[in-house]
Formats: sequence, C-alpha cells, structure tokens
Amino acid sequence: MPPSALRATPFAEDQLALIERLLSEATPDQLHWLSGYLAGFQAASSPRARSATSASGVATAPRAPLTILYATESGNAEALARAARKEATRAGFAPTLLDMADTTPATLPAATPLLVIASTWGEGDPPSRALSFYAALLAPDAPRLDGRRFAVFALGDRAYANFCATGRALDARLAELGAERVAPLVECDLDYAAPARAWTAATLAALAPTTEESDPAVIRVDFARLPSAESDDGDAATPASFEATITERLLLSSSRSTSETWHLELDAAGLAWEPGDSLAFAPRNDPALVDAVLATAGLASDETLRAALTERHDITTLTTPGLAAYAALTNTTMLPASFLEGRQLIDLLESSPARLTAADLTSLLRPLPPRLYSIASAPEFSPGSPHLLVSAVRWQSHGRARLGVASLDLIARRSSSEPFPVTLRPNPHFRLPADPSRPIIMIGPGSGLAPFRAFLQRREAVGAHGKTWLFFGARNFTHDFSYQLELQDWLASGVLARLSLAFSRDQPEKIYVQHRLWESRAEIRRWLDEGAVLYICGDAKAMACDVHATLLRIISDATGTGADSAAAWLRTAVADGRYKRDIY
Amino acid sequence: MPPLSRNETIKAESRLLRGTIADGLAAAATGAIAEDDAQLTKFHGIYLQDDRDLRPERAKKRMEKAYMFMARLRVPGGVLTPAQWLAMERLARERANGTLRLTTRQTIQLHGVIKSNLRPAIQGIHAGLLDTIAACGDVNRNVIASPIPTSPIHPEVLAAARAISAHLLPKSRAWHEIFIDGTPVTPGEEEEEKILGRTYLPRKFKIALAIPPFNDVDVFAHDLGLVAIEEEGRLAGYDVLAGGGMGMTHGEPDTFPRTGDLIGFCTPDQLLAVAEAVVTIQHDWGDRADRKHARLKYTIERRGLDTFRSELAHRLGLSLAPPRPYNFTRSGDPSGWLDGENGLSHFLLFVENGRIADRPGRALLTGLSAIAAAHDGRFILTPNQNLLIADISFSQRPRIAELLSRHNLEAPPSLLRRNAMACVALPTCGLALAESERYLPTLITALEQTIASLDLASEEITIRMTGCPNGCARPYLAEIGLVGVRPGIYNLYLGGAFDGMRLSKLYRRELTHDGILAALAPLFASYASSRLANERFADFVIRNGVIRPTTSGKNFHEDLLPDLAA
Repeated sequence: MPPSALRATPFAEDQLALIERLLSEATPDQLHWLSGYLAGFQAASSPRARSATSASGVATAPRAPLTILYATESGNAEALARAARKEATRAGFAPTLLDMADTTPATLPAATPLLVIASTWGEGDPPSRALSFYAALLAPDAPRLDGRRFAVFALGDRAYANFCATGRALDARLAELGAERVAPLVECDLDYAAPARAWTAATLAALAPTTEESDPAVIRVDFARLPSAESDDGDAATPASFEATITERLLLSSSRSTSETWHLELDAAGLAWEPGDSLAFAPRNDPALVDAVLATAGLASDETLRAALTERHDITTLTTPGLAAYAALTNTTMLPASFLEGRQLIDLLESSPARLTAADLTSLLRPLPPRLYSIASAPEFSPGSPHLLVSAVRWQSHGRARLGVASLDLIARRSSSEPFPVTLRPNPHFRLPADPSRPIIMIGPGSGLAPFRAFLQRREAVGAHGKTWLFFGARNFTHDFSYQLELQDWLASGVLARLSLAFSRDQPEKIYVQHRLWESRAEIRRWLDEGAVLYICGDAKAMACDVHATLLRIISDATGTGADSAAAWLRTAVADGRYKRDIY
Repeated sequence: MPPLSRNETIKAESRLLRGTIADGLAAAATGAIAEDDAQLTKFHGIYLQDDRDLRPERAKKRMEKAYMFMARLRVPGGVLTPAQWLAMERLARERANGTLRLTTRQTIQLHGVIKSNLRPAIQGIHAGLLDTIAACGDVNRNVIASPIPTSPIHPEVLAAARAISAHLLPKSRAWHEIFIDGTPVTPGEEEEEKILGRTYLPRKFKIALAIPPFNDVDVFAHDLGLVAIEEEGRLAGYDVLAGGGMGMTHGEPDTFPRTGDLIGFCTPDQLLAVAEAVVTIQHDWGDRADRKHARLKYTIERRGLDTFRSELAHRLGLSLAPPRPYNFTRSGDPSGWLDGENGLSHFLLFVENGRIADRPGRALLTGLSAIAAAHDGRFILTPNQNLLIADISFSQRPRIAELLSRHNLEAPPSLLRRNAMACVALPTCGLALAESERYLPTLITALEQTIASLDLASEEITIRMTGCPNGCARPYLAEIGLVGVRPGIYNLYLGGAFDGMRLSKLYRRELTHDGILAALAPLFASYASSRLANERFADFVIRNGVIRPTTSGKNFHEDLLPDLAA
C-alpha cells in the first residue's frame, strides 16, 4: 500500500503526516513488526480481549520461561526491566530478571527467550557494571546462541554522537551468535516511557507461544493500562512522590569564587532514604529562554504553549535529528552537525527564523526529563530533610549566556514557599558496604562530594570503624572548599582518615583528583588489598574517565601487568561491588 | 622577676625556629598552621594572615577564615636585578595575589600566598637568589640604606648594609630545611647562634643607613641608625644613633615612638662590631617579659643612655668618637629623572603606597615587567615604598622613557600624593584597626582640592597613615600623621619634621574622613596666608602654637592640647 493510499483514511492531516513519515522510512522488518503490533494493539484494545484477559486468566496455562536482561547505569533500564517483568507475568510468562552486572553470557538461563534492555552511557559506552558481560559477549570465544529468540530495547541520549551504541552492538552481536531476532531494535531517547511499553507489549506478543486457536487475545497484554502520552510518568514502577519545600539555600562557595556551589536543605517529611540515593524533581525552564524561543518562533502570545515549554519540553538540547526536523519544517538546508557544538535550540531557531505553529515547535522538542541530585545528608543527620549540593551551571557560548535548567531552577528561581514534588531514586548500586569496618575510598570532586557527605554522616552515626579516604577537588582552596569545617571535624574525630585535595586553579599547573590518586598510588593499592570499596561520584565526561584511566595505571603499575589485565581487575572489582560509580 | 612572655618559650622550644612548621604545611585541610608555629614563621619572613574582607561570610559558609600567608623578602639596601624583579613579578602572579607590595623596609611583600603555594613561592624566591630569612620576627630585620645612586658613597653604604644583614643573620638552617630542600641538619652538624642565642632577640630590631642630605630611611626611627659621613667624596664613617622606634599602643602612655639618640661616630671598619655590640646588649638587657616594652628604645629609657653607652664601650673595647656634623633636608623621595655620573641616569618611579598592580589607566605591574625585560641596570626599592629604575645607560634611556610613557608611568602625581605614604593594613594585616592603603588615596584626592584652592600645590607636605599605632609607615615622623583607631576613625598627629628629625604630637582624636578634612582645612588656610618664606607646614603649626613640639619620645604624650589630655 503506497503511503498516498492513506489519504482515504480517517486520519487528520497532522496524524497522516506522522504516519507517512514513519512508513516511508521504515525497513521491511519494521513494517512487518508494526503490522503484528497493530494487530495485537487493536485486538487487545477490544472489549473482548480485555474480558478474555481478565476472565480466562493464565493460572492454568503452563508459563513459558523468559529472561529479561538489563544493563543500567542510572536505573532507568532497570526500572523498565522491572516493568517488563510485571507485564510478562501478566501475559503468562515466567520471567527471570537479570542484571548484566550479575551474570555472564555462559550462564544465561538455557534456551529461554531473551528481552534485553540496555542503556548507553557517556560517549557510547556500556554502563560500567555491565562492562564485564558486554566484553564477554563481544569476545571471539562467546558462547553460541543458536535458535534463542531475542529482542533489544536500547536507551540513549541523542545529545551524544554514539546514540544507543550499546544496544546496537548487543543487538547485532546476539544475531551474529545465532540468536533469532523477533523484533527489530528499538532506540529511544529520553522520551522512552511510551515506546518502552509498546515495545514490551509487542515483543511479548511476538514471543507468545503460538497455538492453533491463535487468537490475538492470548497475547494477554493489558493494553488498557497503557497511559496516554500526556500522563507519561517514567515507568510502571513509579516511585512515591513527596511534597518538598526548600528551607535553606546557602551559597557555600566564597563571594570571590569563579563558580557557585549551593547547599540546599529541603523539607520532605516522610522521605526515607539511604546514603547514596538521589532525589528527582521536574525542573522548569528559564522563563526568559522560554520567551526568547516563543518570540523567535513567532508564538509569543500562545500562553498554553508558554506553559508547556516552561514545564514539559526540553528547550535547550539540540540534536542532529533536531537539525533535520527543523530543516524539513522550514524548507531549508540542514545545518551541518558541527553547528551543534556549544549551541542550543534558540541558536537553531535564530539561524533561520521562521514562523512556526505550536505543533511544529513542539514536534522539535524532547520531553523535559526529571533531574537527579545525590542526597548530601544521611537520614540520621537530617531526618525528613534531605540536603542537596548544587553546582550552578552557567557558561557562555556563541555570545550567549547559558544557564543550567535544573540548577538555576533550584538555586535561583524556585520560591522557597512553593512546595514541589520530589521522588526518591534509590541507588542500590551506590551504597556503603554492609560491613562497617570495610575501608572506603571516595572520589568526589565538585558536587560529587554530595553522597560522600551522606556516607560520612552515616559512618559517624553508626560509629563505623572502617577507614575512610576522601578525594575532593574544586577550583580554588580558599573559595571553593565545600563543607571545609565539617571535613576538618571528621578528620579530627577520625571519621575521615584521609583527605586528599586537588584545587585546579591555585597554581600554574592544573591539579585534579586523578593527580592526587597517582601521587598516592602505593597507599591506594594497600587500601584496595585490604578490601577497600572505591566510589566515584561526579562529572562523567572528564573526571570519571580520567580517574578511571588513572586507576588502570595504578593497578597495572602495581601489578606490573598490562592495561588489559588492569582493566580485567577493575571489571572484577565492579562485579564484586568494590568499584562503584555515580556519575552524570 | 616577671614571667617570660609566651614567645620566649616558643622560641626556646623551637629547635632553632623549626617548631612543627613542616607538619603544619603538610596538613592540607586547613589553610592555617599551628598558633605557635605562626610565631616562628615570622623569623622566616612569613606571616600567617587572612583576608579580613571575607571574615563575615566565612563561618556561614562552613569555611575557616580565608587564611593566606605574606612572605617578606630580605633585600638589604633594596637592590634587585631586573631578572630578580621579573622572577618576583612572576611569583606574584602564579603563587600570590597578583600584586607586589613595596614596603618602608625597602623590600617586597607577596600577599595572599595560600599554604599549598608557600613552599613553591619561597623556592621561587630562593631560585631568584633572594630569601626571606629574618625579614620578620625577633631578629635584625631587613637592613635599609639610602637608595640614592647619585651619591659617590652609595656603593660602600650598600655594601655595608649587606654586610650587617649577613653578619646578624640567624645561623639556623631551619629556613632551608623547611622551605627549600627538606633536608634536616645531620646529627653532629651544629648550628650555633653565637650572636642571637637560641631565644634570639626580645623583639624586632631595625637598622638603617642614611646618606645625607637624604633622610629617606628615617634614620631616627630605628633601633640602630647610621648616618654616613661623607668627607671629600669619601666615606669617613658613620654617626651612630641608638634607640629609635615607632610602635606604641593606643591608651598606654608608657608606650611611645622615640627618635634615636646620637651616641658617637664609628669608622667603616668598626661598623660590624658596633652593630653586633648593640644587638647583643639588647639581647641581654631587653625586656623578655613584656613584648610591649621589649624594643631597644625602652631598654635605653630604663637603663639610661649613659649606662648603655658605657656598656657599648665595654663590649667594643673602645669608646666611640664624637659625632660629626651632617645635614638632612628631607625624608621623602625625589621624583622623576635623576642624572648620575658616567652618563648613567635614574628614574624615581612614584608607586602609590608601594602597591605594584595594574589599575585602570596605570598598568604598573605590566609596565614594570616590560621595563625589567629591557633594562640592564638595577631596580632599587626605596624606604618610601617607591621604585628607582637605576643605572640607565645613555643609549637605553629613550627606550625606558618610551616604556614609561606607554604605560602611563611617567607623569608625576601631585606633590601631596608623592609625599604621602600608607601601610598595608586591611584586608591582610592582622593588626589593622582601620583602613590605610585602601583609604589614603581617597583622602589625598579630597585634600588635593583644598590644597589647590589655597594655591599650595607647589608646597611639599608629608602625610603618612597607618591602620594601627605600630607605625609601619612611620606616621609619627610625618608632618601630618593619621593612625587608625577603629574602622573609619583616625587620630591626627601634627608637627613631625619634614626632614624626619622631630616626632609629631597628637592634635585631634578619633576623626572621621570629614573630621580630618575639617581639622586640616583651616590649618592649610592659615599656612597659605601666613607662612614664612620656606617655612615647612610642621614648623608653621608649632610656631603658631597649634601643637607643642615633641622633643623626645618621653614627651610624645605630654603637652597635649587641654581637651586632649584625658
């Protein structure tokens, strides 16, 4: 059916455009999958299907085994995998949920279908704890997977060049090893919630045991639960939301600092957290930027749109698909990818101003994702009042002052009298060791100090005797030493055994935490030999990479082995829970 | 006997000035060092300070005080090579607050050196063939000498300043050990403080050498003052002055500034022995119980000048010859180009309050770097906090002149400003009670208007300000002295001699900015209308009974106006 045939359908003009665009770009595989999906969707949505689901139940049917394997860094893939498990159970499967961090290709449950949900991290890397599995699967000696059925859901961020690289690689490698792809790879940006639900449903449908009375109803997916796009709220395991107000906002850095680090105290009665957990909230865009975007698009008077741009849409991030979409909308030549460097949506709109409709403009925008901040206090220390350490993000590029969306919302715009919802994002992979006598090494420059303040408060509260070593860094000792007096007190009391400091701009040569790590390499090795757990929190782009590279050097230097075995050592440490990262 | 002051114990237990300074430098979480160690680092030319502007906000921010160190160089006679200047300028940018501070002791201070930069800064100074040893502390401080290179005896006087400084230097290797090479003295290697002893002096000790007719070193303000006597173009020797000093404490009349007493004449070859003997007398006789009465001036007041003289003769094994005549004309610096012999010329660059920094319209730091890079002569720091670009050859002069003019450094400011001088005070000095360096320029601007309106702009009047009564800018030897009492409030002193030979007298207590202007305006007005020919402002106010003259330190607090006596 040529796309033009759709003209005879009951779709509205803009819906038609979307369908046409999708169909014209789809591969045969995708079209095939979509036809099955639509059949399942239609059938499951019918009253008959729903009653069949609820009435017939699945209790008597033998449950088909299913493995749901996830690779997660920040917890999104894990949350999706949990949601998928719920759906799979409902659909009559006997699902097994597996974290890639805890398994190997060789020990995957035999012969069961495989649902893979994998996020991509930073510039195209697998999540750190999944590295070991990933490497083993891509290794030449990986076990064959002939006949095993699979589907991959990939999470990523279009702001990075190697979008969804991990999911892509896993998808390709599983097929290469002989597995049978039952659904094409789905790649998702930040607005993954609805596609994830659709993918789960369709894939489960495709995997459903076929019987002779193969009625679409046996897919047993409760499509009725599918929320509309407007009520998107992340995933099925939506965490409880708490009303919070900001009770204290204190600029920690000196009035002479070249940066701004704020200490925030929130009143969030009832919130119970563990040191290492994060708090999520929905930021609002800078009203001045919203105005600028609206004005440039010729939509300054659309108050509904203004509200939507303020609260729901990402109006800063610019991606390659965004350039393409804008070129299509405005009938202009697509700008080269180099335009992205240091630029945002407003720069694109201003590059060739065009009067847009509200729908045109929003079609360019991704949803505004919630923002996470590591909680900087332990619940024993500030019950019901999580502390946050917020670095104000401000920079200049292409002649324009840019403001971080979430940080400026928290420190400057959000009224302290206005309650706002926050949700707890537990971080089970970034917790203090259960054994309070175990030594810990914490590397947390800048706002990466936050969870370690919570760690130290916890260790103080429980009287833990394990040695603690903190690496902190910032620009200037005098102006940027966050919580200096508290850290001095912990040094004096022994809660903090060692403190290594790196201030980059105090001297002609830049000194960062990785330099202090290297200087202390012999001692670091001793601590690791004593079983120390290594934590890294903070900037993912530069700091975490540099620290990781330095740790590799330290290990290969100490063991006299090559980089490969040092990498293997670190992978084992990740698998053993001795190398934990919370980076952003 | 009263108990020894706390500092005496610190010194005695310091293992010749080591204390636990090295441990303190290694403690990275704090910008400070232990309190006792902060007394000891002074002997190494290093003060622990903090940025007092930041004090109010620090506690709220969960930060300790904004600690930082001041490092003061030892530069006897104030002579640097251009390469040394460039090295110090680089240290200022890389390890300190980006400025250099020239001081009244003819040296350079680096301010705002945080602890992690202290060793690198001191090592940089050492690499520049300079040091900070004994620039502060209970020792003989930097020896200063008239910087006028046009004098035929300047080379000999400069050499004498260097020789005295070296002779009286602590012999402890602590400075090298702590800041430079980290190598402790090996057992068996003895350091012996033959002159200073292991508790060093009871208090600071200052020596200055003047070359008349210039009293730019304020030779009467030092524990030991030496007036070079030139006879037929040769250095005949020195008149010796003992017991000068500036410091006092508000509200304690038994503390006072004092001009040195003239006690005789020594030949150049007797000079080191005289200096050593005066130092050892003070070592043995000085008050080690009360640091406020520990300077040589109080020792001499207590024991009597005659006793001191005979002890000196006893220790020297000879009596000093009778003093020879000399004549001083001024205590301030000349200004601009000075022509010397051998085709060399010199440029005396006015540096407002000694601060070398780039300011809008006047790129002093940058300009001097350019000059230093081009200059093959010397840089001489003056005791008035100015800078002499010395020994400019005939062929180089156009180049230096061009650089001065390009950086807007050639045009001289008003005479009033050129003869004004302030100590550092806030925000770095821990002793400051009020602003000084940051405020004096504003006050001078206001006074300039009065002076101009009275047609006094061609008169030279010395004005000196300090943020506390300790007197680093020697305010009690100025015609107009302003001494900080509390923020924004100053005591006004008048009558110090233009040539630095007479102390001033308190004229008004606790004046605000407006109060200072109101107090001085009528005096300037009557000076303008009824001064005698060539009469100095200080002499005028005494002749007119505005204040009584101070004839010696002992009567500094006496003969006040009736309403001030309280």
